[in-house]
Amino acid sequence: MATTRNYEPDLYPGDATDRWTEQKERAEDYERSADSYGYQPRRAKRVDEWMEVEFKFGGSRIKRKAVALVLLGGPALVPLFFCLPALFTLDSNTFSVAVDDVLGTGAELCLFLCLLISPLMTLTGQRWFFPLRRWYGIMMACCGIGDAVAAGLTDTFSGGFFAKLTEHTFTLVGLIMVMLVIPLLITGNKWAQRKLGRYWKLLHRLIYVIWGLLAIHLLTLFGFQPDIQVGGAGDGDIIFHQRFYQYSACSIFLLTLRLPPVKRWIAARQREGRDWLVVLTITPIFALFVFGMVFLINEEIFKGIDMFNNTPSAE
Amino acid sequence: MSETYARRRQEPTNAGGFMLAAISVLATIAVIAGLVYATGVGARRKALLAAGDCAPVPGLVVTGLDCTTEQQLAGEYTKITTPAVQQLNADVAAYTASERHDLAAAESALMAQVTLAQALDKSLMRFPFPAAVAPQAKALMQAIDVRVKLTAEQARSSSLGQLRSFNSRIQTASAAVRTDMKLVRKALYTRPTADQEP
Repeated sequence: MATTRNYEPDLYPGDATDRWTEQKERAEDYERSADSYGYQPRRAKRVDEWMEVEFKFGGSRIKRKAVALVLLGGPALVPLFFCLPALFTLDSNTFSVAVDDVLGTGAELCLFLCLLISPLMTLTGQRWFFPLRRWYGIMMACCGIGDAVAAGLTDTFSGGFFAKLTEHTFTLVGLIMVMLVIPLLITGNKWAQRKLGRYWKLLHRLIYVIWGLLAIHLLTLFGFQPDIQVGGAGDGDIIFHQRFYQYSACSIFLLTLRLPPVKRWIAARQREGRDWLVVLTITPIFALFVFGMVFLINEEIFKGIDMFNNTPSAE
Repeated sequence: MSETYARRRQEPTNAGGFMLAAISVLATIAVIAGLVYATGVGARRKALLAAGDCAPVPGLVVTGLDCTTEQQLAGEYTKITTPAVQQLNADVAAYTASERHDLAAAESALMAQVTLAQALDKSLMRFPFPAAVAPQAKALMQAIDVRVKLTAEQARSSSLGQLRSFNSRIQTASAAVRTDMKLVRKALYTRPTADQEP
C-alpha cells in the first residue's frame, strides 16, 4: 500500500490540515507518487531526480540541489547581515532606530517564505526545496529573537529590558511571539523530532499561532487605516506601505493553499492533466502575494541599507 | 469503488474548486484595484511634495530622488563630519608628537587643523539644517570658529613654550566643539518619544 508519508519522513511534518486529509482520504485515491502534499506529476519527479544529480566542483562532488538550496536560502541571512556594522561598532542609536524594521521585517519575510514552501510543493509537486522550510524557520526565529533583544536593550521606551518589551500591546504580542518561537528553534532538529515523536508535530503547529499573532502585532503597531501610517505617506503609495495590507496580501495565498478542499481540488485537476486550470485560478492569488512581498522586500532593502551605513531610517 | 464513496470524494473536490474560484475572483479584483491605484502614484507624490510632506517611507521608484528625508539629512551630516573629525584627530596626534621638540612640525600640524576646521565650517554653513536643529548647528559653527582662531594664534607662536601655553584653552575649545557636534547629531537623529509611538 502506498503511503502518504513517503517523502523524507525525518524532516518537517505537513501542514496542520494534513491529519484531516489523512483521515478523510485513502492513499490509493491518489497515484502511487502522492504524498501529504498531494499528487506528484511525473515531470515534477523528474525535476527532483535532476536535482539529486551530483556534479564535480573542485575536488568534491556536489548535488545540484545543494547549490540551489544555498542560493535560495542565502538571502535569509541578509537581515542579520544589515545589522553587522551597528553590532560591531555597538551603535545603540542605529539599533534603537532601525532594528525594529530591519529585523522585524526580516522575520516577517522569513516567516512567509517558510510558510510558502508547502503551497509551492502542492502546486509544483516538486520536493527538492523542502529543506528550505526549516532554514527559513530558523532564520525567522533568529531575526525575531534579535529584534526582541535589541528592542529591549536599545529602545527609547522607559524601564528595564522586560518593561520595554511589555510596555505596549504590540511589544507584548511581539514578546509572546518570540517566546513561542524559542521552543520551535530549539526543537528544529532531527534529534528533537525523534525524542518528541508525535508531539513534535503538535508543537511545531505553534508556527500558525505565531502567524496569527503577527497580524495582531502589526495591527496594534501600525493600525489598519493607511492615513495613520507612522511616518506619513512617503512616496504616495500609502496603501502598499501599509503593513497589514502586506501581511494580508501575502497570507491569502499561503492560507488558501493550505485549505484541505483546495489541496484536494488541485491534486484532482493535476491528476486529470488540467494544470492550466490550476494555474488560471491560482495566478491572481499569487499575483496578490507577489504584490505584498515586493513592498516588504523593498522595505527591508531600503531600511537595511540605511542601517548598514549607520544612517538608520525610522518608520 | 462504491457510488457512495465516489460521491463523498467528489463533494469536497468541488467545494475546493468553488472556494478557490471565489478567492481567485476577489484576488483579481484586489490586484486590478492595486494596479489602478498604482497609476496615481505620481500625482499623489506631487501633491505630497507640494504640501511639504516628506516621510522616510521606502518607495519602489522615487524615494530620495526629489525629497530629502530627515534620516537622509542625518546621513549626509555624518558623511561630512566623520572624515573631518578623523583627520582632525590625526592632526592633533601629529601636533602632540612634535609639540616638545619640533616647532616647525607642530606649527604645520596646527595649520593643517586650521585649514580642515575652516573647510568643515564652510560645509556646515552650506548644510540645509532643519529649523529645529538650526540653533545647535549655529552653536557648533561658532564653537568651531573659536577653535580655529585659537589654533591659528597658537600656530603663530615663536617658541615651543609659547606653543604649549595654548594647550589648555585649545582643549576647552575642542571639548565645546565635541559637545555641540553630539547635540547636532542627536537632534538630527531624534526619533519620537515613547508616548508618541502608537
